[in-house]
Amino acid sequence: MSVIQILIYAAVLVFLVTNITRFIRMASTPIHLRWELYPVAHDVKRFKYGGSFLEESDWYTKKLHKSMLGEIRVMLPEIFLLKGVWEYNRSLWLWSFTFHIGLYLLTALIFVLILGGIIIGPNIFNVEAGYGSLSTIGQIIHSLSYAMLIAGCAIGTIGTLGLIIKRSTDREMSSSSSFGSYFNLFFIAAIFISGLVFLFSGSAVDKLIKCYYSLITFQPMPNLGAAFAVHAVISGLFILYLPFTHMTHFFMKYFTYHKVRWEDTPNIRGSKLEKKIQEQLSYPVTWSAPHINADGKKNWADIATEEVKKDEK
Amino acid sequence: MKSRVKIEDISKPSKKLTHLDIDDLMPLPPPYDKIEEQPGWKALSEDALENLETSLDDTIAIGIPKPKTQEEEKELVKKFLSGLEKLLTRENNWTFLQPLLLSLEHCAKCQTCTKACPIYEASGKQDIYRPTYRSEVWRRIVHKYLKPGGKFFGRLSHGDIDLNWTTVARLMELSYRCTLCRRCAQTCPIGIDNGLITHELRKVFSQEMGIAPKELHEKGSVLQLEVGSSTGMNAEVVKDNIEFIDEDMKDLTGIEVHTPWDKEGADVLLIHNAGEILAWPENPGAFAIVLEKAGISWTLSSDIAAYDGINYGLWYDDFQLGRVAIKHAEAAKKLGVNRIVVAECGHAHKALTVIADRVLTGDFNIPRVSAMTLLEDIVFSGKIKFDPSKNDFPVTLHDPCNMVRLMGIVEPQRRILRYLCPQFREMEPHGVDNYCCGGGSGFAIMSGHNFQDWRLAVSGRMKLKQVIEAFDDHPEPETKKYLCAPCSNCKGQLRDLFRYYGVQEKSGIIYGGLVELIVNAMVDIKQPFINFDEMQ
Repeated sequence: MSVIQILIYAAVLVFLVTNITRFIRMASTPIHLRWELYPVAHDVKRFKYGGSFLEESDWYTKKLHKSMLGEIRVMLPEIFLLKGVWEYNRSLWLWSFTFHIGLYLLTALIFVLILGGIIIGPNIFNVEAGYGSLSTIGQIIHSLSYAMLIAGCAIGTIGTLGLIIKRSTDREMSSSSSFGSYFNLFFIAAIFISGLVFLFSGSAVDKLIKCYYSLITFQPMPNLGAAFAVHAVISGLFILYLPFTHMTHFFMKYFTYHKVRWEDTPNIRGSKLEKKIQEQLSYPVTWSAPHINADGKKNWADIATEEVKKDEK
Repeated sequence: MKSRVKIEDISKPSKKLTHLDIDDLMPLPPPYDKIEEQPGWKALSEDALENLETSLDDTIAIGIPKPKTQEEEKELVKKFLSGLEKLLTRENNWTFLQPLLLSLEHCAKCQTCTKACPIYEASGKQDIYRPTYRSEVWRRIVHKYLKPGGKFFGRLSHGDIDLNWTTVARLMELSYRCTLCRRCAQTCPIGIDNGLITHELRKVFSQEMGIAPKELHEKGSVLQLEVGSSTGMNAEVVKDNIEFIDEDMKDLTGIEVHTPWDKEGADVLLIHNAGEILAWPENPGAFAIVLEKAGISWTLSSDIAAYDGINYGLWYDDFQLGRVAIKHAEAAKKLGVNRIVVAECGHAHKALTVIADRVLTGDFNIPRVSAMTLLEDIVFSGKIKFDPSKNDFPVTLHDPCNMVRLMGIVEPQRRILRYLCPQFREMEPHGVDNYCCGGGSGFAIMSGHNFQDWRLAVSGRMKLKQVIEAFDDHPEPETKKYLCAPCSNCKGQLRDLFRYYGVQEKSGIIYGGLVELIVNAMVDIKQPFINFDEMQ
């Protein structure tokens, strides 16, 4: 097995394990106090103007309906068109949009190439006989991969370089940027640019399908040339690195939107939510300020009701 | 002249991190556009400069005494760091841990949020008021000082910062240069919440270090829990005051009202912000008239804290918030009411209805509803006859952030205004996109040293601009205009803002609540309830 192959396996493994762990950790944090921001997307009826169920004086007598479809309808343009950036930061949008589209295309290409590895992988080694020897679906996958690779790398390069220039020249962005902010962008730029170089080195899609075939079947990967090696190593290292950065926002948005911004579930007497809250109210507190009067043994509820209890005596 | 301030500059001792010049500020529309006529702000006293931490900007919100020795400084820094650590534990901070971790780890530093901040914009884009500035300071400290290997990796990936007393003292003050309006959070494509980070920093200072503005703590939540109200009124005094108001209402409207106290089994426990009783008595008076005329079974409570809906803990301390909310719920439980109605106070709405929702369990979980919805039900019930022509003057609406962007109560008050005020017009932007009055998160009651000047010149500037522009078809002071602000804190800020700029004299605009407009439109009222000349 080649070093590149081992790197890719390791990167994918670390990527999956770390991200799943991060997701589980975030999902298992305590239920927080309500902190929603309107408009709330699952309230389809009132989303347009930002209203909530609290606009009704008898809201507590009614069953509340949450529309997951409503949330998806808002998230799709947010994810694929960067609607928020378009609305609130127009001068950044073009660069951010092309940057993300580049990443989306290369991410989608991974799945197309997995499919390609399965369907045309065994034949690709004989493709010198001509692409006509591939099945129709094989030819579609081949052409699609080529289009996605060239479009992803070209659009992504434009976006990333645009972001680097924007970040370094915009007063607000540059003053809060760190070494890490630029490092991430240059890292991603290296993926796109090495992808373009690889593309122009010839037979790029064939090489990629060979690579994926080898990865899927755990067979040794043939030597696919220096341009491929550079692109594969940079991409592998990035996959390895990503879970440790803020870029995990691509899945953490589930929490920031669904679990915080739109989380408006009211606490109903006798509900599971209430039970969970009561459990959390029994957490011991160690804050040090004198007015908190914590000793590490008293819990949240003890402290919050201390004066109430005093009055009762 | 505006100078560029980097994140790491916060740690570098200097006389001031930022100095504001009045001509750096966002321009105002006429007739408020002449810089030489703008009041500006007083300089801090020699005493304050000598004895208090004043090195952030030209004002102080807390007034932290300067530590006397280096040991004292070190001890405070240590305490701050231990507070930050506690903020990231589930036991000590289950209340906001998840949203805080999300905001700690996923900001892309795109600065989309900066354009949404009225303080940053109004200040002429001073770096330190950028919503991300304090968040970045916090992130850098956490990553460098609390994460394993942070001295190398944290510094590399998030940027460097030194944690010393200068950093802590400035950060403490800086946590009171944001009104927690969360307009920035609304625009963040990722869902990062700089308002939350500010809120959590305030908690570290209060819950770990015992430091908070005295108006919020000693004279705020502590006084409310001890005496019953942050106004200092005990039950006897508040009852006397309400009796006077009832009498005044009779004289003014001819309608006899007797505000009920501690009526067991009433449908509604109404909780006012007690500041209304002292500063704007016509508001609780108008509520009494409307509720009586609509035949609602209602009561006020004379129990400690229950006749004052304020809950300043919302802005700086989870435990103070919990204590006050429990007092409110306990009073309702004792009286056996069906629901608590929160009167015209935005933060009281949010504290009791939304934030305390996951603190009040079991018998304490009594339904809480907004006065906006109850008033809407009454206005459209047909129980009271209205003549909208009585309100035939230009009216616009200020949306309190807590009630609107943070609770989604947008339309009930608008339906009332569209029905009762023929010349109602929106200000721009409005609804959930509104701008804060500039007095949010406690600012409206904070006036120590020259902080009031700052909140009127800077944090309230955007709101003033909006209000003036909403009436730009009638700029002349002779045309009387009404700014409806259904929130006590917002009214406090607007009162100060209007006096500071002479808005009533120059533009003929007065401010007031929603219920006053309802009473003013009642057929039964012979004399106008809203008096444009008497309103101050």
